[in-house]
Amino acid sequence: MIQPQTHLNVADNSGARELMCIRIIGASNRRYAHIGDIIVAVIKEALPNTPLERSEVIRAVIVRTCKELKRDNGMIIRYDDNAAVVIDQEGNPKGTRVFGAIARELRQLSFTKIVSLAPEVL
Amino acid sequence: MWAAVPSLLLRSSLPPLPLGQLDQQLRLGFAGLRRFSTSPENIGNRSFLDLQEVEKVLSDVKAGDVRIIPAGKHFEWADYMVLATGRSAWHVKNIAQALVYKAKQKQKGNQQLILPSVEGAEGGKWIVVDSGKVIVHALDEKARAYYDLESLWLSEPPQKELNQDLEKAFVKIRPKNNSKKPAKVTV
Repeated sequence: MIQPQTHLNVADNSGARELMCIRIIGASNRRYAHIGDIIVAVIKEALPNTPLERSEVIRAVIVRTCKELKRDNGMIIRYDDNAAVVIDQEGNPKGTRVFGAIARELRQLSFTKIVSLAPEVL
Repeated sequence: MWAAVPSLLLRSSLPPLPLGQLDQQLRLGFAGLRRFSTSPENIGNRSFLDLQEVEKVLSDVKAGDVRIIPAGKHFEWADYMVLATGRSAWHVKNIAQALVYKAKQKQKGNQQLILPSVEGAEGGKWIVVDSGKVIVHALDEKARAYYDLESLWLSEPPQKELNQDLEKAFVKIRPKNNSKKPAKVTV
């Protein structure tokens, strides 16, 4: 359940450390974003000497949420943090590696690139 | 382990039927079939492009530096990753188009066409053609060097050792003692 003003961790090596959601892409007045949704975010904290800087506006895909994700077979997945992966307008990830476990729903939502970079797929 | 479960389920629920029976099932309201066909995850064993066909198509369109990586410790959600390099954005798009065309040709005459999902087709830097078991990554030279997917998939994942250490630590702290005798202290 990510809404504008939510702070998220960054699950890749793009150089950003913390994001703040400012808009959810999809319907015109959408309230919450879940795993696999694209958000517009602003970088609140970034590592020095990386291409991304603080207060830059970027797009990101949500890969982990504290709000539980339910599957049809009854499995429930809940992570400890809210995390996103920074992408560009074409959908290519900015970083080259993704950290942490990723849900396999992202593959069905056509984020196979992020899934293939991830070390673990749940 | 979980990767094996949906395909097994699918196999049992979808025996190879002749077309007439399949139609009947659809009419009877077998709604699951259509949903299965759209997502690459649930296609299971009916993958529509096998490795030889992918190799042939890639050599036909002159994709450079083709590398086939079988599923190892790093990913188990697909059987093979195929990497190919294109000379330009046009060439990368052509590789993806050729694979989709091949899938179409193969299923010519079928009532239901199942096409692989193509991702990133408008950019031309990195296009992923996901046909269930075989996943083809077509990249241009810059993107191939930038993402460096070979080193990611061919290197040993470091996390497994960490888990083993953790398990050992638990064993040391909590030895199993089901007997009623007092535990022997081992040095």
